[in-house]
Amino acid sequence: MSYYGNSVYNNPGYHDSDTLQIDRSPPRKSVHSNPHGNPYPRDQEAGAVQTGRSDNQTLPGGGLASYDDAQTRVPWGGWQEESWRGRDSIPIGLLSPRPESPHWQQDINQESHYDKSPLVQPPSTTTDHVSTRFRGSRRMSLFPVGEAALGNLGFSEDHIRNEMEMEEENVIKELVAMSTTDRIKAIRDLPMSFNDKKHVRGQVLVFKSFKKSRRRNCFADCSETFQLSFRRCGAHMMLARQTLDLWQGTMKEIGGTFGTGVLSYFKFLKWLLMFNVFSFLVNFGFITIPQLSYDPTPAVPTGVKFTGLEILTGSGYFSHTVMYYGGYSNETRGSEGRPRYNMQLAYFFTIAAYMVLCGAALVYSMARSFRKRFVQADPATGSAWQLLCSWDFSVTNERAVRQRRNNLRIQLKESLSDKVRVALLPLSDRLKHYAVFLGTWILSTGVAVGCASGIYFLCQFEKGSADESTGSLLDEASTLLLPFVVSLVNLVIPLFYSLFRKIEQYPNPRMQVYAIILRNVILKMSILGILCYYWMKNVAERSLCWESAVGQSLYRLVVVDFLFLMLGSFFGEFLSNVVGTKCIQSLGVPEFDIARNVLDLIYAQTLAWIGIYFSPLLPVIQMIKFFALFYLKKVSITRNCQPPRRAGRAAQMQTIFIAILFFPSFVGALSMLAYTVWTLPPSDGCGPFRGLDTTFSAVQVWIAYLDGVSGAHWIVWIYRHVIRSEIFYFLITIIILVFIYIFWQIIKGRKLLISLLRQQIANEGKDKAFLLEKLQDVQKSKQNKQRKKRPTRNRPEDETSPGLLQALLARQRLEEEDASAAYNSFGVSVPSERTMSTTSSAVMQALIARQQAGSQAGSYRGVPFTAEPPVPSSTSALIQAMQARQKAESQAEDGFHRTPAPSQNPVNALPGAMIQAMQARQRAELEELDRSEPERPVSSTSGVIMQARQRAELEEEFYRTPASSQVPDNTGPGSALIQAMLARRQIEDEYVDEY
Amino acid sequence: MLATVIIFQIETAKALALLTCLSSQDNPFRQRIAEVFSEDGEGNMTLDDFLDMFSVLSEMAPRDLKAYYAFKIYDFNNDDFLCKSDLEKTLNKLTRNELTEEEVRMVCDKVIDEADLDNDGRLSLEDFQHMIVRAPDFLSTFHIRI
Repeated sequence: MSYYGNSVYNNPGYHDSDTLQIDRSPPRKSVHSNPHGNPYPRDQEAGAVQTGRSDNQTLPGGGLASYDDAQTRVPWGGWQEESWRGRDSIPIGLLSPRPESPHWQQDINQESHYDKSPLVQPPSTTTDHVSTRFRGSRRMSLFPVGEAALGNLGFSEDHIRNEMEMEEENVIKELVAMSTTDRIKAIRDLPMSFNDKKHVRGQVLVFKSFKKSRRRNCFADCSETFQLSFRRCGAHMMLARQTLDLWQGTMKEIGGTFGTGVLSYFKFLKWLLMFNVFSFLVNFGFITIPQLSYDPTPAVPTGVKFTGLEILTGSGYFSHTVMYYGGYSNETRGSEGRPRYNMQLAYFFTIAAYMVLCGAALVYSMARSFRKRFVQADPATGSAWQLLCSWDFSVTNERAVRQRRNNLRIQLKESLSDKVRVALLPLSDRLKHYAVFLGTWILSTGVAVGCASGIYFLCQFEKGSADESTGSLLDEASTLLLPFVVSLVNLVIPLFYSLFRKIEQYPNPRMQVYAIILRNVILKMSILGILCYYWMKNVAERSLCWESAVGQSLYRLVVVDFLFLMLGSFFGEFLSNVVGTKCIQSLGVPEFDIARNVLDLIYAQTLAWIGIYFSPLLPVIQMIKFFALFYLKKVSITRNCQPPRRAGRAAQMQTIFIAILFFPSFVGALSMLAYTVWTLPPSDGCGPFRGLDTTFSAVQVWIAYLDGVSGAHWIVWIYRHVIRSEIFYFLITIIILVFIYIFWQIIKGRKLLISLLRQQIANEGKDKAFLLEKLQDVQKSKQNKQRKKRPTRNRPEDETSPGLLQALLARQRLEEEDASAAYNSFGVSVPSERTMSTTSSAVMQALIARQQAGSQAGSYRGVPFTAEPPVPSSTSALIQAMQARQKAESQAEDGFHRTPAPSQNPVNALPGAMIQAMQARQRAELEELDRSEPERPVSSTSGVIMQARQRAELEEEFYRTPASSQVPDNTGPGSALIQAMLARRQIEDEYVDEY
Repeated sequence: MLATVIIFQIETAKALALLTCLSSQDNPFRQRIAEVFSEDGEGNMTLDDFLDMFSVLSEMAPRDLKAYYAFKIYDFNNDDFLCKSDLEKTLNKLTRNELTEEEVRMVCDKVIDEADLDNDGRLSLEDFQHMIVRAPDFLSTFHIRI
């Protein structure tokens, strides 16, 4: 039996396997439903009775032998196979210390469980106890209608308990077969209470040690101990890592107060901070430390002093330090003979490696988050998702809980009204909406373009004034004008954009959020683009040490942006809170706008990426900035803000933010850097690449040097044939295109498959509903019949046999109805002739068996009956088989002790053998009953019912084989199984009702 | 053993914090969570039950386990299916009975329409799990941070 594992989702046959469990359960239940809990002793007991009888009567041992043979070979053997199907992975030897008798051992185990449980609790109170103790361990698929209905279906306490024990057994067996890591994971996955898990684990360990005790040696012991300590160590490490995690407690606090959506902003902030920490470590380690170790004091010209304004402007004193590109030398460190440190290569490769790693990390996390959150999330799930999965259990703050409930209500109401409104919208209104969209988009794009061009002209103006500058403090401060304007634009224009919300009416709020995000991204990227263009075009041509100049501008932008972020959260959030609570109550407490804040972060990070080449230590500033921002935002949000009203889809928003961070932001920065490195001439006066045509030629020089060094040919080869060769890139492109095309086709195929599978699930559901309806009809009609039948049971003892016969007849009629109903429901696929023959043959055989039993029970003469039942031609084979058997038996009775061989049977096929077995069994049981009847008539009634039940199960087995092979694949084994389940339920109903 | 006692004391301190969190009067599922995790089904929890709850709502718990217990929490009448009455109850708890009957009915119909794969008019555990897979926030929201 499968448990709740992660594999459930990955397993395409999940639903099938689920249905198979239903299929497997009936035989198991039948085993436990009889008082002995084990078919074997019972059968042998019957056999013994028969043998005993065969002394006085003329029953041959040979008949018994063939009976036993058939019995073990066909139904029970079949059952064993059936119930073990799907569990091939579990070696039976593992189940017990004595592999030679697996099912006996298993039964003993069950018996011991069975005996143990009542010790814990008196049997009368066990139902409650069990149902709660095993509250999680029960598979729902096994009990499709729940506990209350179980009683109606005839599951007694013992049934339920046995079922649970069986299940536990199976779980343990599966767990034993797993590897240790898998097992730990699986046990953790079990939906059980803590104590039950402990119990299961203990059981598994006992099994394991049994197995191991056979081949225990020193090595196994050692490796076991080692593994255990290794695992424990790993768990402790993980715990320690969790505890040491930056801001763990703060994060929890924020999540508890503001929910997951706001928390995602802080996670994003932390993630970006990690990027910068890494970048700082790399740059500092590979570029700055070698530079400082050789030349510890910065080459500051005399007269330049640290004034304090540098912290804001980044120029002056700072421009001569290792802060910027200009502070690094182009020399090769180290003496001759020892490995030397080439600053040019170090600078180039460090930056390149950082960018490549950043790109890889971004692509990885973007792809993962896309796969997990965006593709899987079906756009069709609107309110279902909102209703059942939206409650944020992590929110523990009382005020937040109240707010959240309000928000959810508003959201639901809005989505309901939206649907109505969209449906009712006339064409003219829709046209008006489109016009509004067009207008706002033109306006927003125009504003962005205007801002960008304004900034360009400001740059040129500033350059003109810088040419005339005298180096005074005021001139230095005037350089702050440009970053100030840029940050102001970044602060004000988004607010202006958010005014559009009032006039635009998007069909759903998510579209609106996307539109706002897109506009902001366009604005920010156009500003950055124009700045980059200015730097590339104008600064690079004129300035003496232009890389440092660009670095300074970027530094200023970063610092001023930080100031504006602080001011923004103070004025934006604090003031509007004050205004909202004190002055204008209708405004209310401001919401924390996740989208705007995240976009600010993305903008800041883009600046840092662009600046990493021009100012290798810029990540330090960025780190300080993000670190301070975290606390600032935390304080601001707890004091001033309320959680956002639209709490939905935090995960999807996160995906979009990562995508934005990758596409315009990282890719833009990377392309600008690539342009700088490959085409722009580095400045002559400063920096590691002075004197070279382009930055990249440092690598060319290095390769030319390597050409002469032995042992480095492979680097040269790679450089010439991979990096510099067009054919390589051409081939790579072709291959990637081909792969993309193939995957695209696969995706298309999968989509088709998914829709087909959905259709199939729906069809199966319809089947199920139909069959359940049928089942209810059958139950109703059966109840009517039983009302009629009830008097027969109260007859005096001497009339018991005819009463039984009547009951059997009624039963068989019912079975016939049921079977034909079940078959007719698949009538499309099953040929009707075949159906009829199967049904009628089964019924016929049952009739014959009954008559035979009846005649023997009634007359007790021991003389075989001669009356031929009416036989339709289609069942002639079966009838022949039976006749032959009867003849054989009568012969055997004459010969008293002669042993006829089983080969006398004319039909050797499986059904024939089964029928024989059944007949023989019924007869034996009936005879047994007859003997015991005078003493205990009530129990005999129940005995007969039980026999009838068992027989019916045999018939069920018999039906199933042809049915499942006839039904085409698309309705699947599931339908056949459902039918089997129905039959079983009905039988069990009857069983209970007879009581 | 000593370590266990110490850990137990730490956890008890945490657990008290958790209790105060859960005892928030406005938490719509407070009572229901206690019922699902308690052995007697009436919300009286033993320490073991409490630890069970803690473990299911922790960060480490696997998604299927979380989904199973979330399903149980929403299954108010314990029939192992989320039928309309369960959904209505959930909705009323979430929105404090402030939606009209008509609206509640519409939302519930829509939920069943969207999530019921086998068209039997109610949500089984499988339906629910399927829905959970498509709701990526679930793992982080079905989680109590202390």
